[in-house]
Amino acid sequence: MGLVGIERLKGILGDENVKTDLADLYVYGSDASVHEALPWVVVRPHTIEDVQNIMRYANPRLIPVVARGAGSGMSGQAVPSKGGIVMDLKRMNKILEINLEDTYVRVEPGVVDDDLNRALKSHNVFYPPTPASSRIATIGGEIANNASGVRSVKYGAVRDSILGMKVVMANGDLINLGAKTRVEATGYQLDRLMVGSEGTLGIIVEATLKFVPIPKYRCMGIAKFNKLEDAGNAISEIMSSGINLSMLELMDNVAIKAVNQAQNLGLPDVEAILMFEADGMVKEGVDIEVKKMMESCKKHKGFGIELSYDAKERTRIFSGRKKLFPALSQFKEYYSCTSLADDMAVPYSKMAETAQKIHEIAKRNNVIMTAYGHCGSGCMHTKILMDTRKKSQWEDAKRAVFEIYEYVRSIGGTTSAEHGIGISKAPAFKREKSDSLNLMRAVKKAFDPNNILNPGKLMDAPDDWVTATSLRYRLDEKDMK
Amino acid sequence: MEFKRLKEWKDKLHVCIRCGYCYEHCHIFKITNWESDTPRGKLILLYALLHEEIEPTDYMANKIFECFNCGRCDASCSAKVPVTDIFTDVRADFIDGGFDVKGTLSHINEDLCSKCGICVSICKYEARTLDKEQNKIIIDKVKCRSCGGCEAACPSGAAYIEEGYMVSEKELLEQVQCYLGGK
Ligand SMILES: Cc1cc2nc3c(=O)[nH]c(=O)nc-3n(C[C@H](O)[C@H](O)[C@H](O)COP(=O)(O)OP(=O)(O)OC[C@H]3O[C@@H](n4cnc5c(N)ncnc54)[C@H](O)[C@@H]3O)c2cc1C
Ligand code: SF4
Ligand code: SF4
Ligand code: SF4
Repeated sequence: MGLVGIERLKGILGDENVKTDLADLYVYGSDASVHEALPWVVVRPHTIEDVQNIMRYANPRLIPVVARGAGSGMSGQAVPSKGGIVMDLKRMNKILEINLEDTYVRVEPGVVDDDLNRALKSHNVFYPPTPASSRIATIGGEIANNASGVRSVKYGAVRDSILGMKVVMANGDLINLGAKTRVEATGYQLDRLMVGSEGTLGIIVEATLKFVPIPKYRCMGIAKFNKLEDAGNAISEIMSSGINLSMLELMDNVAIKAVNQAQNLGLPDVEAILMFEADGMVKEGVDIEVKKMMESCKKHKGFGIELSYDAKERTRIFSGRKKLFPALSQFKEYYSCTSLADDMAVPYSKMAETAQKIHEIAKRNNVIMTAYGHCGSGCMHTKILMDTRKKSQWEDAKRAVFEIYEYVRSIGGTTSAEHGIGISKAPAFKREKSDSLNLMRAVKKAFDPNNILNPGKLMDAPDDWVTATSLRYRLDEKDMK
Repeated sequence: MEFKRLKEWKDKLHVCIRCGYCYEHCHIFKITNWESDTPRGKLILLYALLHEEIEPTDYMANKIFECFNCGRCDASCSAKVPVTDIFTDVRADFIDGGFDVKGTLSHINEDLCSKCGICVSICKYEARTLDKEQNKIIIDKVKCRSCGGCEAACPSGAAYIEEGYMVSEKELLEQVQCYLGGK
């Protein structure tokens, strides 16, 4: 894309909304994943028409366009692996309508999750999917990844909070998907197809979301376990006992240590802790649910159980979990916390086994791994902690990632629970979905015949994630301590 | 040019997971809304500079000097990347490298300055000195934290903070007037 192209984009958006300096390109070339690739230009639309005009410019010229929210994705979804235009949507951040009568909210895609919930709070309602990254994650990015969060066990993932959306297609056409009503059976549910599409099918320019009342009572508990296996068994029992819980989180010892080091929270140095929560409008109901969860924990040798209805105390307990990913980087000197094999979903009955398996695989491959996650929704997070400066560690990581996904598939789990596929998880995703890849490619072709929307991701990503793009970590063994 | 001080932070730069949590409250980001103006963005640039993948330019140098040292980024980072300490050191590298920067720094209008030295005594970061030989106020660009204290204290209107970041006296007044319903 030459100077003429840049001038055209400036003509569409104004000089102040187009960046071509190498410094800017560098910054927009990475996200929270291990990948890196430079775009040719970064643009910032303010309106739907801006987005349409960018697409109308790019499509006939076969210029890749990568939508970007906060760039907090962990699998390289927003990394422009084929170059092209990065479209930063953070300036389209207006809450367009809060409709209390019909219980929906209409937002632009760049609205930050926490900002939306701050606006909804004064009406005593909330938008529940809320990932741990809600302080910066945008609604567009959340939809495109089907994000979920700690309360998804009760309220569902983003896909369960979507009523409809407006999408700009690859050729610049604007389409309306879904409806504003709670139910809809009017043909193909194309709005659902956009969920988890990772910017490969269209640009989401507006979303209609449902919200729910903020429960009057929330009670959070924490239980300690001397054996990870016991915590896993407690999860399995809680989930099969019919309790309508609103949160169930696991942290293993590596995660506990990291949070304590980073935040001085004084969490107990045990093999595992479970954090659980029930919520509701009637306190007695919440009491019953919490009591049942306590009993399950105790039955599986959980001890030191503490409960709190106090909002401040709940926030304190939970703050460690919210900042766990960055905190893990503190675990061992010169080790970085890489977002790899990070968010599988496994059947409840396999939680304990998976947690153990993760540590086994880590040991075998000379890396450190942790087991934590929104276990209530079956999500098992891990991260790979390693010395990213060493070439051999990347080979170790590659083996570990492969083994983890093979295991997860063998027990009926799935590659990604909420962080999406992008580049790093594409090899495992392709193995898991081998029988529907061609259908997915046909869908992609129908939406984006010129393959300009976030090309090189999902089914079109390379089979080796290590060499798929440059790694954003530099190998550097010369003056290593 | 050599980034002598930046090199000392190599390992800390490595620890950043690029989560972006540090930019949630960053005032500079809230003003410009470009990711290259976020603390995360600047750390990415420094990482590239450190590995000699990009050449330092005035544009980059200026970005690193656009910061109010509020420390919100440090407080948000659970990976404990000492963001503002890194920025302070790399600023000194840029100054040593001969870069002329404006950033969010304070300045002096020589024509208005009466050399009273009030700004020197008000600045708690010791960023201002009165050079008796040259009879002028000297500003240390590494020490200045863009707090605006000198601008508020200067009786001659000679000390001022760079405009465009909504914190200069003029811009603050405009915002207050706007809030109170004026123009
Ligand atoms: C510390 C940390 C914790 C996290 N915790 C969670 C968690 O608990 N749960 C969870 O689900 N995720 C989590 N994530 C991952 C990530 O934050 C989420 O997936 C989030 O939804 C991404 O939003 P974003 O705005 O950053 O999107 P980006 O990273 O900018 O983009 C992600 C993808 O969405 C596409 N996209 C963005 N906007 C649009 C749009 N308007 N139209 C079409 N496509 C678009 C992009 O092209 C890209 O493919 C976490 C990340 C970090 C760094
Ligand atoms: S400096 Fe800290 S908060 Fe900022 S991106 Fe890096 S790890 Fe995250
Ligand atoms: S110290 Fe600087 S970079 Fe950090 S949040 Fe404040 S203004 Fe932003
Ligand atoms: S802006 Fe603040 S730190 Fe800078 S010279 Fe003035 S008083 Fe000192």
